[in-house]
Amino acid sequence: MDPLAQGLGIAGGVIALLGGAIGASLGIGHAGSASTATLTIDPRRASSVYLLTALPMANVFFGLIVMLAFIIHTTSGEISLAKGIAMLALGAMTACAEIFSGIKMGEVCAAGIAVIPRTKGKIVLNTLIISVYVGIIGILGMVFALMAISLIP
Amino acid sequence: MPVDLIAQGLGYAGGAVALLGGVIGSSLGMGVACSSGVQTLAEDPKQLRNVILLSALPMTQTFYGLITLIQFILYVNAHPEIDLARGLALLALGFMVGAAEAYSAKKQGEICASGIIELPRTRGKITFNTVIMAVYVELIGILGMVFALMALSLIG
Repeated sequence: MDPLAQGLGIAGGVIALLGGAIGASLGIGHAGSASTATLTIDPRRASSVYLLTALPMANVFFGLIVMLAFIIHTTSGEISLAKGIAMLALGAMTACAEIFSGIKMGEVCAAGIAVIPRTKGKIVLNTLIISVYVGIIGILGMVFALMAISLIP
Repeated sequence: MPVDLIAQGLGYAGGAVALLGGVIGSSLGMGVACSSGVQTLAEDPKQLRNVILLSALPMTQTFYGLITLIQFILYVNAHPEIDLARGLALLALGFMVGAAEAYSAKKQGEICASGIIELPRTRGKITFNTVIMAVYVELIGILGMVFALMALSLIG
């Protein structure tokens, strides 16, 4: 058992979760700032605003799934140093996917939240659809990382 | 020949860096396009189909990064005896692909956002021209991937 390889693999998973936490925080922060302004104008739209503000939170869970998968993969069998380095790089890739996807999803949600009073809430469904588009990148980052570690012997 | 695990790891890392560039670029590009899309839909909800089409264009760079990652993994798996020089070359190629995908997707998103903003005024007629302009920038992402795979075959 190579402790360096194991450590790199687990660190990769932790970095993925770190990215998810950063992306979700920044995204929710962005949407939340727009929410307070919107709720001041039209307090009746609270449920729609709460829904859109919470969307970037999903990225934390994508990071969590990657971390759990990496830890299980690392501790369940012997991994080489090459695979440890690969897992560290894949963790960094997932982290970037979650960070940028979370930030941009927050910005899209903030744009939608800002026009809720003007459209009388009709923009909520369209904003949901459009923001899920950006969220797909976070999902793809997670899925591709899990796919890649299954390809590496 | 003895197996150099660090060289193998660098090869795998190169592929991951390529995909990293793709996801960063796609997120930034789609973020800009989608933010414009929400503003456009607030003005003219009938443009949803065009907004969805144009907003999705920068996503393709993620898949170019994925193709590069898979090719690099398969290459290292098929050549377990790769030396440090080839490992470093793979890492450098991964950075090149990552940069190509990141910048290409970011700028493609800006072009799509410009087109999306004009959708209500042109009643959707700008969509086709925007797609053509966006594909121009997309070409850089495709070239980055193709040239890396070409270099991979030259390295041997």
